[in-house]
Amino acid sequence: MTNRKKLTVYEECLKKGVSRRDFLRFCAATATIFGLKASAAAQIAEALEKKSRIPIIWLHLQECTCCSESFIRTSHPILSTLLFDQVSLDYTETLMAPAGEQAEKSKHDTMEKYKGEYLLMVEGSIPVKNEAYCCINGKSAKQIIEEAAENAKAVIAWGNCASSGCVQAANPNPTGAKPVHKIIKRKPVINVPGCPPIAEVMAGVCVHLLTFGRIPQLDSLRRPKAFYSRRVHDTCYRRANFDAGLFVKSFDDENAKRGYCLYEMGCRGPSTYNSCGIIKWNEGVSYPIQSGHPCLGCSEDGFWDNSPFYERNPTLNAYGIEATADQIGLAIGAATAAGIAAHAVTTNIRKKKLIKNEE
Amino acid sequence: MAEKIVVDPITRIEGHLRIEAEIENGKIKEAFSSGTMVRGIETIVRDRDPRDVWAFVGRICGVCTSMHSLTSVRAVENAFNITIPKNAELVRNLMECTVYLHDHVVHFYHLHALDWVDVLSSLKADPAAASAAAQKLSNWPNSSKGYFSDIQTRIKKVVESGQLGIFANGYWGHPAYKLTPEQNLIAVAHYLEALEWQRNVVKIHTIFGGKNPHPNYIVGGMPASINLDEANAINSERLAFVKKLLDEAKTFVDQVYIPDLLMIGGVYKNDWGKIGGGVSNYLSYGDFPTEGYNDVDSYKMPRGIILDRDLSKVHPVDANSPEEIKEYIYRSWYKYSAGDKAGLHPYNGETELNYTGPKPPYKNLDFNDKYSWVKTPRWKDLPMEVGPLSRMLVAYAAGAEPQKTLINNTLKALDLPAEALFSTIGRTAARGLETKLVADWALEFYDDLIKNIESDSRMVDHKLWSGEKWPKQAQGVGLSEAPRGALAHFVKIENRRVKNYQMVVPTTWNASPRDEKGNLSAFESALIGTPVHDPKIPLEILRTIHSFDPCLACAVHLYDEKGSYVHRMDTF
Amino acid sequence: MKNHTEKLVAIYVWELPVRFYHWINALCIVILCVTGFIISNPPAMMSETEATFKFWFGNVRFIHFIAAFVFLFNFMFRIYWGFTGNQFASWKNFIPYRKSQWIEIFEVIKVDILQLKIEPIESIGHNALASIIYFGSFLAFLLQCITGFCLYAKMSTALLPKLFTWIIPLLGGDWQVRFIHHILMWFFIIFAIIHVYLVFYHDYVERRGVTSSIIGGWKFIEEEVAAKECQIDKNK
Repeated sequence: MTNRKKLTVYEECLKKGVSRRDFLRFCAATATIFGLKASAAAQIAEALEKKSRIPIIWLHLQECTCCSESFIRTSHPILSTLLFDQVSLDYTETLMAPAGEQAEKSKHDTMEKYKGEYLLMVEGSIPVKNEAYCCINGKSAKQIIEEAAENAKAVIAWGNCASSGCVQAANPNPTGAKPVHKIIKRKPVINVPGCPPIAEVMAGVCVHLLTFGRIPQLDSLRRPKAFYSRRVHDTCYRRANFDAGLFVKSFDDENAKRGYCLYEMGCRGPSTYNSCGIIKWNEGVSYPIQSGHPCLGCSEDGFWDNSPFYERNPTLNAYGIEATADQIGLAIGAATAAGIAAHAVTTNIRKKKLIKNEE
Repeated sequence: MAEKIVVDPITRIEGHLRIEAEIENGKIKEAFSSGTMVRGIETIVRDRDPRDVWAFVGRICGVCTSMHSLTSVRAVENAFNITIPKNAELVRNLMECTVYLHDHVVHFYHLHALDWVDVLSSLKADPAAASAAAQKLSNWPNSSKGYFSDIQTRIKKVVESGQLGIFANGYWGHPAYKLTPEQNLIAVAHYLEALEWQRNVVKIHTIFGGKNPHPNYIVGGMPASINLDEANAINSERLAFVKKLLDEAKTFVDQVYIPDLLMIGGVYKNDWGKIGGGVSNYLSYGDFPTEGYNDVDSYKMPRGIILDRDLSKVHPVDANSPEEIKEYIYRSWYKYSAGDKAGLHPYNGETELNYTGPKPPYKNLDFNDKYSWVKTPRWKDLPMEVGPLSRMLVAYAAGAEPQKTLINNTLKALDLPAEALFSTIGRTAARGLETKLVADWALEFYDDLIKNIESDSRMVDHKLWSGEKWPKQAQGVGLSEAPRGALAHFVKIENRRVKNYQMVVPTTWNASPRDEKGNLSAFESALIGTPVHDPKIPLEILRTIHSFDPCLACAVHLYDEKGSYVHRMDTF
Repeated sequence: MKNHTEKLVAIYVWELPVRFYHWINALCIVILCVTGFIISNPPAMMSETEATFKFWFGNVRFIHFIAAFVFLFNFMFRIYWGFTGNQFASWKNFIPYRKSQWIEIFEVIKVDILQLKIEPIESIGHNALASIIYFGSFLAFLLQCITGFCLYAKMSTALLPKLFTWIIPLLGGDWQVRFIHHILMWFFIIFAIIHVYLVFYHDYVERRGVTSSIIGGWKFIEEEVAAKECQIDKNK
């Protein structure tokens, strides 16, 4: 694979056979055209020579910072390589040196200087019931994201919060939390779900953008196919136990100690699309199922309301009666049988004459 | 004339915090702290299966990840009277140690250090001198001249690119930065190393909990089974992995973190050892049980309260007593049925939303009215500071070892009086010392685990796993010491479902707005009297606020949409 | 025993393809329900055998999938037969677009369900109420096929299941789809119970040979009813 890293203007010139002298002359001419002082030529030359890291604005809205925490755990590339050699993370409340006014300045500098070029990364959902539920520097989350998305090249929605609302959007969604793609309609939005997404998946999405200069192929839910096209179930190393019908019945039972399938413990692997079984977590050390806990399905839309987590079937809680679908099914079946019995009795009474007639 | 400044967002923290301050004669005269985001997690966990709640509340915070999950399973176990097996207790302790190690190191280097370390100044350093200085600090092998000159080149490249990224618009060159260029270079090198190291130590969570952030817990024990004869369970390979990570952590803390802390502390001790003390009461619930959660005396970190900085007496604390812990909303965007002046114990707490602030976008908040999403908790109507300093002080006052000796030795090494503990630098130092202790304790817990596994491999108490045997009604409290301070979860369960869930979290204590009587909470009070060189540049404010390690997502989870629900716990 | 007062004629109601369809369908539903139950809540087994040498759960699922394919194609054949079969098999019976069908529906409710009237309904194939319920069950078949095949699509490279993948995000994810699939299974079980009962009920009350008709195809109908309801060559 050839390295198609975006070349700087200067590198591009050198490649095309332009000498450094000509390049500097061009810079001076540019300065004259824009009516700048002679010293500006040096600045332009410097900027064109070195500008090659993609600027990024990373917003924090209704979130818990687990996506940032996951991001800093990436092992390939490691974070410092990404931050200091490949991208320029100009605004992120978690790591940036300045605060307050100076932090806002960092954001606005990038939004102006790199209009249409910067990537907008969003961690967290946007409350719409009352915009005051999430404010930064007096502006609401909705105002902030709309302003930042206006001139962004693309938007990456990190984690389940930004891609489907996550825990704060779980029933009854008290703040009216909405994912990014429900608010930002005019820009390409890449959803990278998970609570949080795997570190290497987050880095992988960035690296894809940087290496190939375009967004990775997405599925119908705007998730990168590279990481979200397989079910955890289909890539699970315990899958053979599933097919063999070897299941854990209770935590730490004999079957659990042998590493049998966690399907019966409520594992959401069969309905969850993620790379946990392949890339695994924290540099491939393990993943929930390998460490004995069923998958919670944290990369699925609305997974919080698919609880209880330790049951295969959801519990229906209507009119204060709590039951699983099977219990309700059995109850209806029993009611049907009773109805039939009653009907048979009345038939014999009401239609006695008719039946007699027929005999 | 007082000059007003607004610092929003406070960066390098978790969550959304706004500080407004009035400066007069170069010193802060008034300070206001406001949490500006809510999510309403407590409403969301209502009516859920109590075994699921750890996952929901774990998502309150991804930085001190797993602390809320741990506290939640403790609360449910407390309600059902479940005693977890010894192995599970040790594994939980190991995971909690991991949180401390990770969180404190990341806080020191990545959230706090840039308040003390001038990144650009490091470009002026002489790598040879930095190498000599570093070798004097510790035996850490990354200390050659070539190593430091490579780091310098790397930073230089970033600076010269004109794209400073996270370092753009920092307060570089501010006169409050006091380190030499060489010291700055050492700190910047370690900033990068800590970034590389932190992603390794969390692998302990991945081994026992499957992932990090947000590892898995279960009510009644821990999900990962132990089976020394099985590749699919905790076996000797997994244990050796944990041991290696713990050893590396200890080396990093001893050879990098602590020497850096002493280096930076030594430079700033005379100014910042006198500033930023704030409230004079300290609360710790204690943590790291060695003989079960119910045996508080077995905790490595003792429980108690210190009043008026009087280190001769430790006052007992009872989270269940309706007279002790109360939450107020006089200055918070909530409403109580008994009026805004009432204070309610979490058992009887109400959470009705009442946003009265300005409509965004706004310039300033009205501090004569309500001004934060954070409630105001009080212990016997007194404001409390929570966090590493509180834990160390309570341990010191209780005469707990090894805390007491360690504090005495450090004070001696830095040539400081005990009063210096009550300051911005004291808080930052307490965090470092605590990390050193936790690194040692983690190895102890590991040895205990190995010893225990020989005769007992149980990880879960299943007696009460399935809901059939649960009492119709139950209630419990989970207490813990998160890296940021005292954390409490209160749960009430009825008909196998969560009837009510309440949390009183560390940053609620520290970041809360003032109470009705005008008593300031920890953040606001610690800022008063802080000198500010240039009101446009809030470096000094950041130093003190960061020394608390704020975590706002935790502090502002409390909110009920319908507003009519009255949380009530009858008796305890 | 009294002699029948009316004269009965034998009418060939259910053609062979319809009868085949019915029994294949019944067999599939039984297999699908049983295997479906096992898939939803498998019994835990302790075994010293390695997973590699066992495949029973895989087999259960395999049977489920095969039965699903048979069920679908059988169902599609029945729809085809609704256009080419005899008047009793015609699709026109199942969709109540005529007023007379609606009148009959209420009649059937009065006669057979509430038993307000004693005299039986004069219909030869399905009565109108049965027809509309069958129509509902066809919709359930369809939904069950769609939800089932879209869940199956991830394990398959075949075109047919892939046709339905769009339905998953529409219904809110695999978990919800699986739940709908599971709930619909109960519709089939309860349908089967009522269906079998009503067949016996009609046989008992009306003596038209409903039960045996689905095996042999013939029903025995009063002459005047037969003359009214269909144009049958009596000499045949």
